[in-house]
Amino acid sequence: MQTKEAQTEKAHVENASRDGILQQIRAGLRTAVPEPAAIGSERVIFEPISNPLERFQQECVSNLMECALTADCAASARQLSEVLQPLPEGEIFVQDDPSLRRLVEMTIELAAPTRAIRWSSEGAPAEAAQATVTLAEALIAQTGSILVTSACGGRGASVIAPCHIVYASVAQLVPDLATALGRVSQERIFDSNSFACVISGSSRTADIEKILVQGAHGPRRLVVILQTGS
Amino acid sequence: MSTAAQRFLQDAAVKSADLMHREVIRRGMDSYDAAHLKGRARIKDWEAARQKCQEIKREAINHLDRYLLQFEEKVIARGGHVYWAANSEEACSYVKNLAARFGVRTVVKSKSMVTEEIHLSPALEQAGIKVWETDLGEFIVQLRNEPPYHIVTPAMHLNRGQIAQLFREKLDPAIASDDPRDLMAVARRKLREAFFAAEMGISGANFLVADAGVIAISTNEGNGRLCTSLPRIHVVVTGIEKVIPRLEDLAVLWPVLATSGTGQGITTYGTLIGGPRRAGEVDGAEEFHVVLVDNGRSQLLADAEQREVLHCIRCGACLNICPVFRHVGGHTYGTTYPGPIGSVLTPHLNSIKEFKHLSYASSLCGACTSVCPVKINLHHHLLQNRRNATEAGATKSSERMMFRAWRSAMLHPRIYALGGWSMRKALRILYGLGLAGSILDPMRVWNRYRSPVPLPSESFRAIWRKDRKQDRRKNLGAN
Repeated sequence: MQTKEAQTEKAHVENASRDGILQQIRAGLRTAVPEPAAIGSERVIFEPISNPLERFQQECVSNLMECALTADCAASARQLSEVLQPLPEGEIFVQDDPSLRRLVEMTIELAAPTRAIRWSSEGAPAEAAQATVTLAEALIAQTGSILVTSACGGRGASVIAPCHIVYASVAQLVPDLATALGRVSQERIFDSNSFACVISGSSRTADIEKILVQGAHGPRRLVVILQTGS
Repeated sequence: MSTAAQRFLQDAAVKSADLMHREVIRRGMDSYDAAHLKGRARIKDWEAARQKCQEIKREAINHLDRYLLQFEEKVIARGGHVYWAANSEEACSYVKNLAARFGVRTVVKSKSMVTEEIHLSPALEQAGIKVWETDLGEFIVQLRNEPPYHIVTPAMHLNRGQIAQLFREKLDPAIASDDPRDLMAVARRKLREAFFAAEMGISGANFLVADAGVIAISTNEGNGRLCTSLPRIHVVVTGIEKVIPRLEDLAVLWPVLATSGTGQGITTYGTLIGGPRRAGEVDGAEEFHVVLVDNGRSQLLADAEQREVLHCIRCGACLNICPVFRHVGGHTYGTTYPGPIGSVLTPHLNSIKEFKHLSYASSLCGACTSVCPVKINLHHHLLQNRRNATEAGATKSSERMMFRAWRSAMLHPRIYALGGWSMRKALRILYGLGLAGSILDPMRVWNRYRSPVPLPSESFRAIWRKDRKQDRRKNLGAN
């Protein structure tokens, strides 16, 4: 097997301009530009978050996403069933995770749906999938966002179907973006995931006359089932 | 006069007199203004946020080599590829060769101004590859065969009726509604076929995060997500200046970019991608290539005065606030990047000789500088570009002659007075004959579209002398 250095070297041989660009950059940087003093740490850019849950719920409203608080797994199953029932015929895609297996089982007991389920262990969601159900790595109160990675059913799980349902617990709430991104760094998420995404609402566009249209190429609905108990 | 400058003046005259265009832009900008102000109010200390963003970008640009290498190393370690392109040709041929190697016939693209800058789509189409722009605004301007009007909202110069008409002509004659929701649905259906058929997805990057070795893309529609999730090959085309040191920097850059771009608190999808699909992952591209485009950027580094132009995060705020942009519109500039940032940057990326006229498409009012989220001193750079063009001898010989004449008149008061006197006389006769603004009028540039400024009956020097005399008399009386 090639060493990492050998691989890197090979890549560079095929890239004739690489060294020239680097040289030009270094030559340019020799011209010193004064760096003024850094901003004082006493300046607070974002309002500190006192009540993460309340803030998350508020931000969900302004992000045009739905957030349903549930007490336990049974309530979450009822919630899921309510979201799924009115959807058109068709398959749903679910991240293959024990907690979601349990949730889906309870949902089936409730409503006995005839809907086909594709688990993420069986492949990516189909183009015609009506909904996707996944977990999240974290919920961000400041911006009303969910953080997903490849581990949450893959890249397409949060964008292919017209409805994305996220099953999360209150313990996953973090106050702000800085905390969430800090955690991604600390936990070395990218050592085991090729993808992560901070999602703040359903897909949208305002490209025509700056008029907001909810539901562009991605989901029209983003539903967070937020469970407070176990 | 260069042709680009002539075209600019002609188009500017036509556009600023186009009342329908002005109405569409006014409405678009009004709704942006309202959203932008509301968005800024959500951030506790907006000035501190701007300063923080400025510091992040300054640190990145001042150590550009180190951060780019750190980014590259991480991406390669995960099985991705990084290609450094000195210019447009190198970047385009790399992507073309890649497409040929993998037998690519269809490409889906998400929005990227760098791909516009290097003219990637025409290059691919020449090679027989079908390219779909998938951002709604980009899709619309692609169907119209025109460049984006604005770097954030490419189709903001069109109203719903024009877009419905376009869709009827190009997509489906049965489209009856011009409701934006229905038009979006038409585009969604059409582009979904492309998303699932394409072998290659091309995206830009808003940021390259050095410490994590990931690209960051901000999108609202989800098209960027699909372009980077479904096709087998994902190519990122971006500028070398997009690098930032740390992942945590996004905690301020993301909200500030969203606020300045659209007034949102944060863009719907903040996507981070660090390489190809890993073993055990459900989906994702098997090939991940990042093309780092220089195209004149590294030269700008050596310019201590203007290096900070590379801090730009392409939010479009300076376009939106610019009174010139609001009147002449995006296409008039005839450049990839319109508005104040485009006027500053284009002479560096192309040639100062051809694009120096853009430095004068400004009243130096400084509105652009006041909104820039990374605090680029835009209007000062426009002034510096004017000076640089003059020093480089890029001015017309007639202009140089005029200034020489002006200078010698200033040094000889009698000649100056004579010049002023004869100009007043000549203009009075000319205006009297109703020839103001005509081809014979030396003040034509001003008088063509305006009523002439009333001529004074005497010179400034005469008025000054008289006032001084009166003052002296008054002072004597008081004493």
